[in-house]
Amino acid sequence: MLARLMKYEIKSAARLFVPLYAVLLIFALLNRFLNPFEVLEAAENFSIQIFIRSLSIGAYFFLIIAVFVVTLVIIIQRFYKNLLGDEGYLMFTLPVKPWQHITSKLLTAIIWCVLSAIVIVGSFFILFESGHIELLTFMKDSIKHTFGTTGFVVLPLLIIAQLTSGIMMMYNAMSLGQLFRKNRLLASFGMYCLLYSIQQVIYVICLLLLADTSFFSLIRTGAPTPKDINLFLGSIAIGGVILAAAHFVVVNRVLNRKLNLE
Amino acid sequence: MNNLLECRNLSKYFGPVRALDNISLSIGRGRIVGLLGPNASGKSTFMKICNDLLTPTKGEIRIAGFSPGVESKKIVSYLPERNYLNDWMKVSDIIAFFHDFYTDFNKDKAYDMLKKLNIHAGDRLKTMSKGTKEKVQLILVMSRDAQLYLLDEPIGGVDPAARDYILDTIIGNYNENATVIISTHLISDIEKVLDDIIFLKEGQILLHKTVDEIREETGKSVDSLFREVFKC
Amino acid sequence: MAWELKTDRPIYAQLIEQLELRICSGIYPPGARMPSVRDLAQEASVNPNTMQRALASLEEDGLLYSHRTSGRFVTKDVEMIRKTRNKLAQEQVHEFLKKMGELGFEYSEILSIITDLAEELIK
Repeated sequence: MLARLMKYEIKSAARLFVPLYAVLLIFALLNRFLNPFEVLEAAENFSIQIFIRSLSIGAYFFLIIAVFVVTLVIIIQRFYKNLLGDEGYLMFTLPVKPWQHITSKLLTAIIWCVLSAIVIVGSFFILFESGHIELLTFMKDSIKHTFGTTGFVVLPLLIIAQLTSGIMMMYNAMSLGQLFRKNRLLASFGMYCLLYSIQQVIYVICLLLLADTSFFSLIRTGAPTPKDINLFLGSIAIGGVILAAAHFVVVNRVLNRKLNLE
Repeated sequence: MNNLLECRNLSKYFGPVRALDNISLSIGRGRIVGLLGPNASGKSTFMKICNDLLTPTKGEIRIAGFSPGVESKKIVSYLPERNYLNDWMKVSDIIAFFHDFYTDFNKDKAYDMLKKLNIHAGDRLKTMSKGTKEKVQLILVMSRDAQLYLLDEPIGGVDPAARDYILDTIIGNYNENATVIISTHLISDIEKVLDDIIFLKEGQILLHKTVDEIREETGKSVDSLFREVFKC
Repeated sequence: MAWELKTDRPIYAQLIEQLELRICSGIYPPGARMPSVRDLAQEASVNPNTMQRALASLEEDGLLYSHRTSGRFVTKDVEMIRKTRNKLAQEQVHEFLKKMGELGFEYSEILSIITDLAEELIK
């Protein structure tokens, strides 16, 4: 059932993402041939050529921002509209458990975030003709230098963990927001601020608890080894997973027992 | 328990409002039941509880022995009083969706009904009128071979010809293992089709009898009795 | 023939009358197979259980009989159908006489009205 839910989840957002990604990549390719950077740098006075080139490079950057915004909006909208709006009447009468709904939404959201990132990076590669290999090697070496080989595992895990807890926090805010009879969108936003504050308080408490440990003194001295850094990032990742799990439990509970469709 | 639907002391409070107040009810299989009452009498709340969309404050409810949940949802086909269709699908997409999630969904039946109501499977839901969307939802709901059909105001928004077709479908769909519960305020259109009548008022059951019992005892149609009982 | 059902009397009783009427008028001739309960219910737009009860009642009276496998049939007893037909006629006349009485007509007057009208119709 989870796979079927995800199939429809992906289908519903793909109709927006696929064309958007395509347009972004096409504009990257267009700009590669128009070569606006050199032309703009070399330009001395205004010409129609320059106008077109600035327009196309502007559109390209606008599209990158659009990908970010659309990703965020779709993550929110798929949860709010599909589960907590009128469509919820259909979704929650399917023979499916609420945790499967949450999981399908969450996994799909992560997939879109990762895809959006890949497409944006990919568009850079299309935009610039050369230097790809050099850039990749440079990034690889930097990571290796600071984080060691474990960094290639820890960093992606950290990103996914933070992404997951961030998405789950939005879901949690929305499911708590729907408990209100009126102004649910506003209530959801309020809940987000509240959850965010709580999260910050938890972070501060954790930092205070850890402040006197030898690990922090290492960071303060400015000479942490890759192992120390990985341990530190790893614990942040685990913290993110714990937070995400806590959000999940609350959302699941609310959707199970306190569903309040209009 | 042989009854298809059984609830005991069922209550649902929204703050101080008692949407359902201590309802006990048994409904057997093979019945067509009218759940009648004015606005805000608890009809929709009752149906939502049956579908696990609301959790009762007190009391319990069983459908074919199951508490509302995944098992009950497999055998309950629900038509809510609002449009739950998304805009981006075609009719054929939403049929595939139902087919994917409900093992008792009968695709051929759905396409057959679409044809009879002159709705094209290739049309997008976005382009449809409110009435047509309601018909599509009803087709989806009636194309399942469910054990309990819960229809919340199924004939409210459609034209008289479609109304007749819907009632005809409900009769034609009848089988002795399945029960249909219809909530409506358009009683005169529907009373010939019903076995049992339940009057709800302010969250309580005012009366639970068969149509012919009511006619025999009062010499009135259910419709006129309703007007009398719920006179403003 | 359309199914005429009034709203203030039990549907079950009215269905019995309407079915009797259809049998007597030959819509369902002696020995013929009756449509299924579902079809009849759909035709009359009534609840199938109510239709079933009406058919069972006619079966009890002997106007219908059912065969375990092949369904329900109209009786082949023509005499019985004739009796039912007379019963229906009597009911109609009773009803008519009652209304005429309410209008203040004497029986002799009623009879002459009927004869006059009948003669006109024959012409």
